[in-house]
Amino acid sequence: MDLIVREVSHRYGELRALEAVSLAVRAGETLALIGPSGCGKSTLLGIMGGLLQPSEGEVLTSGPLPEGCLNPFTYIFQDFALLPWRTVEGNVSLALEHHGLGAGERAERVASALALCGLAEFAHAFPKQLSGGMRQRVGIARAIVVRPALLFLDEPLSALDAQTRELLMEDLLAIWARERTTSIYVTHNLQEAVRLADRICVLSRRPGRVKEIVGVEVPREERANAEHARALAELQSRLWDLIRDEAAVADREMQNA
Amino acid sequence: MRATLTALGALLALALAGGQVQSQTKEKVSIAALPFVSSSPIFIAKELGYFDAEGLDLEIKIFNAAQPVAVATASGDTDFGITGLTGGFYNLAGKGALKIIAAQSREEPGYDFVAYVANPKAHEAGLRKPADLAGKTVGITTVGSTFHYNLGKLAEKHGFKLDSITLKPLQSIPNMSAALKGQQVDAILITANNAYQLEKEGAGKIIGWVHQETPWQLGALFTSTRMVEGRRATVEKFVRAYLKGTAAYAEAYLQKDASGKRVFGKKAEDLYPIQQKWVKPEPQPQTVLASANFIDPQGRLLVKDIYDQVAWYQAQGLVDKDVDPRKFLDLSFVQGHMQVPQN
Amino acid sequence: MPETRPVPFRGGGFNPAGWRWASWIAFAAIIAAWQLSSSSGLLPALFMPSPLAVLEALARLVETGALTRHLAASLQRIALGWAVGTLGGLAIGTAMGIFAVARSIGLPVTSALFPIPKIALLPLLILWFGIGEPSKVATIALGVLFPTIISTYTAIDGVPRNLIRMGQSFGLPAAMIVWKILLPGALPGILSGFRISSSIALILVVAAEMIGAEHGIGAFILAAGNLMQTDQLVAGVVLLSLLGLAVSFGLSRLERWLLRWR
Ligand SMILES: Nc1ncnc2c1ncn2[C@@H]1O[C@H](COP(=O)(O)OP(=O)(O)OP(=O)(O)O)[C@@H](O)[C@H]1O
Ligand SMILES: [Mg+2]
Repeated sequence: MDLIVREVSHRYGELRALEAVSLAVRAGETLALIGPSGCGKSTLLGIMGGLLQPSEGEVLTSGPLPEGCLNPFTYIFQDFALLPWRTVEGNVSLALEHHGLGAGERAERVASALALCGLAEFAHAFPKQLSGGMRQRVGIARAIVVRPALLFLDEPLSALDAQTRELLMEDLLAIWARERTTSIYVTHNLQEAVRLADRICVLSRRPGRVKEIVGVEVPREERANAEHARALAELQSRLWDLIRDEAAVADREMQNA
Repeated sequence: MRATLTALGALLALALAGGQVQSQTKEKVSIAALPFVSSSPIFIAKELGYFDAEGLDLEIKIFNAAQPVAVATASGDTDFGITGLTGGFYNLAGKGALKIIAAQSREEPGYDFVAYVANPKAHEAGLRKPADLAGKTVGITTVGSTFHYNLGKLAEKHGFKLDSITLKPLQSIPNMSAALKGQQVDAILITANNAYQLEKEGAGKIIGWVHQETPWQLGALFTSTRMVEGRRATVEKFVRAYLKGTAAYAEAYLQKDASGKRVFGKKAEDLYPIQQKWVKPEPQPQTVLASANFIDPQGRLLVKDIYDQVAWYQAQGLVDKDVDPRKFLDLSFVQGHMQVPQN
Repeated sequence: MPETRPVPFRGGGFNPAGWRWASWIAFAAIIAAWQLSSSSGLLPALFMPSPLAVLEALARLVETGALTRHLAASLQRIALGWAVGTLGGLAIGTAMGIFAVARSIGLPVTSALFPIPKIALLPLLILWFGIGEPSKVATIALGVLFPTIISTYTAIDGVPRNLIRMGQSFGLPAAMIVWKILLPGALPGILSGFRISSSIALILVVAAEMIGAEHGIGAFILAAGNLMQTDQLVAGVVLLSLLGLAVSFGLSRLERWLLRWR
């Protein structure tokens, strides 16, 4: 499913967070959203998925829903947002419980999502018993169990250590390779953006505007190969050039000024 | 009005003079009392200088329930106490710390004090006299209270079982009034001024008086065993002053005319400022008269009745078996106690 | 080799992990000291009955069968009053945790009514509910209601907002968000509120049984107090504390079971 953002602006009271943002996400692609801290990435993601009402502009979709889709706009959260009183299985099944599926079908869907995320043995564990990486895997399983049309990821790996992050990136790539879910991926980490995205949208500092959209030419499956290392490194430094000055200024601003 | 003011002025002068001249040499004593008209022999004796005349400097400590009065006296917080006799009092006295030395209130024929008040519905349905209370629901303050005892004696007199009355212990007079108004009980026992008030509001009907049914010794002046043993002379002085108070009280409030009707004259009027000062909540003159119950002018106890009370409470299992009236009665301070058992 | 010194240890302490027998030993020591001062005459029976006398009073209660009568009467009132007050408090507290209107009305009303001593209301309660069981249950229910309201709505306030947004992002209907996210998330706070409200229910049983109660631990304590039967009075108080201990133990078990995810 395509997603079209048209002239979206957003204000929190006096504070202008987004200014006339327009962009289109194509079905099946992964778009990374980068920009200096506080430039409105989370705000834009919230507006895209219908959790926030934009002050101006509109967000449209086009194209058919994928088969079996229960929740078209689905989020994966930076802080996982798991219910601590539910087991892994219970957390994943929460997303299905109000859809009137039979108990059998629900259990089946949950089990396959857990298996896909390598959580099968942890079905009955509580979140507090899991490592950070495993917890985010639960967040991912909960998202894919509803077969989303659009997947919104807000810095999903930033609460994790570098090694766990590496492993989870591979998992995400594997899932995308299978499901081809249209995804929008907010991150601070340029390396992540370059590894995971088909295109990268760079926002200016607040109020956030689209500064540039950069495509990643190397096919995703080949990006781990040594021969592409150089091209990817160059792309990363180009992105850094784009946002460095903005980031430096943003860094000196007071967060809620 | 003029007379009242003059009396007040005279009182003030007296109090000031007494206070200034002798306070250093006087012996300090204290008494625990309830702020009721029934305690007023003490108030009168203090304000008219009877204690000063005995060389006593009396401090009156006001309490709001009978129990703490007895406890304060037993524990030595005060030297004397004056209040009603209850099961609780006897249990405390039975531990050996208290001595009854003189009489306070008595239910005496012809002097209204505690009334049986029926709710109007029950009255209509046939509850016309105390004897009709058999089988009814009656509100009392607490188990072992004087009201409980009155009902027990009433049952004995009319030959029905106390068990046939459903007793509702409601802890306080306001709760009892509320229960009567809400027709939760058929009747309550309550003091005269409250009874008149209920009748005036149409919330109750007075169907009889305790003094008509079962006259009895209701209250007493008491002190601690320690006082009697260690400061006997002080106790004697105290009782002398108290008896002047009861005599003055009797002259003012207990007079009757030739036809047997109670009459109140100028003496009652003169004592009003004292009542106004000590009685809480501050009473109207007619409230004082309605509340002025019988107190023996010479402080004489109805001794046999106290024996009977203890026996009755013991039979109910409310007073310990080993409590013995002989041990907490000291009849040596007042002459002419009545109906003293000969054993 | 140069001289070596051990690094001094500066950690430890500040870790009040329970010592199993401490409470029992303390209890036993206090009771022994009490009995000793009673039997030596240091503590006159007039002021405080000895533990033995209290034990005898308890034994008499058991022998005569009065104990079960009193316990049954009180437990019924406590259970009913607590349940009514708790259900009301949960409903109002939840509404105040969710709806702005309910909160703006409920907060001042709760603050105004909470501190009223329920004993002061007894005459009114008698007029409204009579002197039978309803007024006794109402006294306890009223006492339980307000603290439950407060603990419920603060507990709901404390549920992380991101969990609610998560629920919305998965399209959960509002009722499901309340039932599956808000209430379970508030459960720890609600359960610790139960500790307070159950103690209040126990405290209020004495006040409740001021209203024409023939049986019940509160009625028993009141009668003993009025009759200056201090041994029975203390025996009744001991019964209440035992009841308090039992309730607290039961709540701990319930907490451990319901909050095993913590
Ligand atoms: N609910 C809100 N009320 C007021 N201001 C807000 C609110 N949410 C965000 N802001 C402000 O709006 C601006 C954009 O916030 P947003 O969270 O969208 O930025 P971001 O790019 O996601 O930042 P970060 O990189 O720190 O995650 C920031 O200055 C932030 O302080
Ligand atoms: Mg953000």
